[in-house]
Amino acid sequence: MEIEKGKTAKWLKEQRPVPKEVTGKLKEFTKIKKGILNALKEGDKTIPELAKILDMPQDEVVFQLMSLLKYGFVETGEMDDMDEYFYYKIKNNGKN
Amino acid sequence: MQQENRKLNFDVLVVGGGIAGGESALNLANLGYKVLLVEKELSIGGKMILLSKVFPTLDCAACITTPKVSEIARHPNITIFTGAEAKNITKKGEHQFEAVVLKKPRYVVVEDCTGCQLCEEACPVSVTDEYQYGLAGRKAAFIPFSIASPRAAAIDIENCILCGACERACPTNCIDFTQTEEEVLVKIKSVVVATGFNLFDPLKIPRYNYGKAKNIITSMQMERQLAPTRPYNTILRPGDGKMPDNIAYVLCTGSRDKSIGNPICSQICCMYSIKQAQLLMGALPMADVTIYYLHIRAFGKGFNEFYAQAQDMGVEFVKGKVGKITEKENGNLMLRYEDIEAGVVKEAEHDMVVLSVGVLPNMEISESFKTEKLALDPFNFVNQSDVLASPAKTSIEGVFVAGTASGPMDIPDSILSGGAASAETTSYLRRASL
Ligand SMILES: Cc1cc2nc3c(=O)[nH]c(=O)nc-3n(C[C@H](O)[C@H](O)[C@H](O)COP(=O)(O)OP(=O)(O)OC[C@H]3O[C@@H](n4cnc5c(N)ncnc54)[C@H](O)[C@@H]3O)c2cc1C
Ligand code: SF4
Repeated sequence: MEIEKGKTAKWLKEQRPVPKEVTGKLKEFTKIKKGILNALKEGDKTIPELAKILDMPQDEVVFQLMSLLKYGFVETGEMDDMDEYFYYKIKNNGKN
Repeated sequence: MQQENRKLNFDVLVVGGGIAGGESALNLANLGYKVLLVEKELSIGGKMILLSKVFPTLDCAACITTPKVSEIARHPNITIFTGAEAKNITKKGEHQFEAVVLKKPRYVVVEDCTGCQLCEEACPVSVTDEYQYGLAGRKAAFIPFSIASPRAAAIDIENCILCGACERACPTNCIDFTQTEEEVLVKIKSVVVATGFNLFDPLKIPRYNYGKAKNIITSMQMERQLAPTRPYNTILRPGDGKMPDNIAYVLCTGSRDKSIGNPICSQICCMYSIKQAQLLMGALPMADVTIYYLHIRAFGKGFNEFYAQAQDMGVEFVKGKVGKITEKENGNLMLRYEDIEAGVVKEAEHDMVVLSVGVLPNMEISESFKTEKLALDPFNFVNQSDVLASPAKTSIEGVFVAGTASGPMDIPDSILSGGAASAETTSYLRRASL
């Protein structure tokens, strides 16, 4: 059988299921992404501020926020008054 | 598994597409030999393509690597397999070798991919980016890094949810989930082993607290932070995103240390740390940088001057053996060290620590040789059987070694070694036609 070009992902999914951990990880990322973007929609924030609002470890906020920066959802703003932390802001209202 | 059992003929198989393997392949190809370059990663270029700048000239690493890599990629006499490994290498006779090359599916037809990144944008998955050494995320449909060669997408099938978003976004229909693993049988006349080195994993020294204290990073992670294709908007502490202003380097992490099984000097860590310190002084003008060292090994051309330049710039050098690193509540780090000159134990606080991790052998390749044994030296690098007269020679006639596969060395020496391997390979091949 010829597998239609452009629909090969569907074909592979029929051959084998996607493991639960993989879909689980995606759900978690989507939740964190939403949390970060919603918080930034309220105003620019630093990483410690985001960690507090989202009740997340700061190192995890760094990782996720830097990923969102790369994916184009977020951009870098000014530095805080102490010259320690950057503010990050939403880009294109969170649509990349 | 798809067992196409394609059969291909080349003059030389080069295993490993780092700077040493690339140099060998290029020289041989320029002499008219047909070369198959097998690289296990998704891009050629090895560790060098991921570096920031290089000592002692501070040239940008990408500016040197990119033209070289594209020359290799475009060369009519070089065939490149990325995402591939040479599994069974057997010697059938003089100038007669066979190898089985295992090609992992990329799920992208490289020739059709324009590198437009629309698949990346469409993919909803985010996972740890191995090419940023864990500092940030990447998609499951991804281009490894912007200067990758080939600059083509790949699908990380283990993390893919098979939603098909990438496929729908792709303007050239180059994504293909029907690809499977492929075994290719190749016939060659000689082999160059250029499989490079492994980095020391600092988790093996628990008293340094790497992995637990988030503001301790490895030198390779700092290399990424300093590179133009860096993971963050600038140099930041991974623990909380603060811009560091008091950075410490711990040299000889995993080198010259019998207790972790690596008694030898890695040769490059002193120099790359001095380089990074200079780059940090430029990027963070207010920052203090302290280097804790046992001895500074600055033996190469221009190295001692480079060391003096760092001292003049204000980099502090402390002759001290770091025993333990502990984390404070604010994420800062306390270094307990023996001040070797004063003979006392001291403590110092820094807000970020870089572990200058050492060079370890990559032994895997020796298992691929099935008929004759590829001998390793006492430290498990590929043994150079005639190191003075014929540095690329190994225990197998017709198999040559290039670069850090034979021991720790920097880029200029890896290129020289790649050159030597290509010259010795050529004279071996010429003997066949005499
Ligand atoms: C943090 C850091 C900073 C550095 N900075 C500098 C600097 O400023 N200046 C300088 O001169 N040097 C520097 N170096 C050293 C430099 O990285 C090395 O000298 C150089 O990369 C060695 O090249 P290589 O080709 O021998 O090995 P590698 O770069 O390790 O390349 C080996 C290649 O072989 C591939 N491979 C491995 N096994 C297989 C297999 N079984 N099958 C197929 N392919 C395989 C690997 O994927 C890799 O692409 C630095 C190193 C580090 C760690
Ligand atoms: S099919 Fe896989 S790689 Fe493609 S977009 Fe979906 S999750 Fe990403």
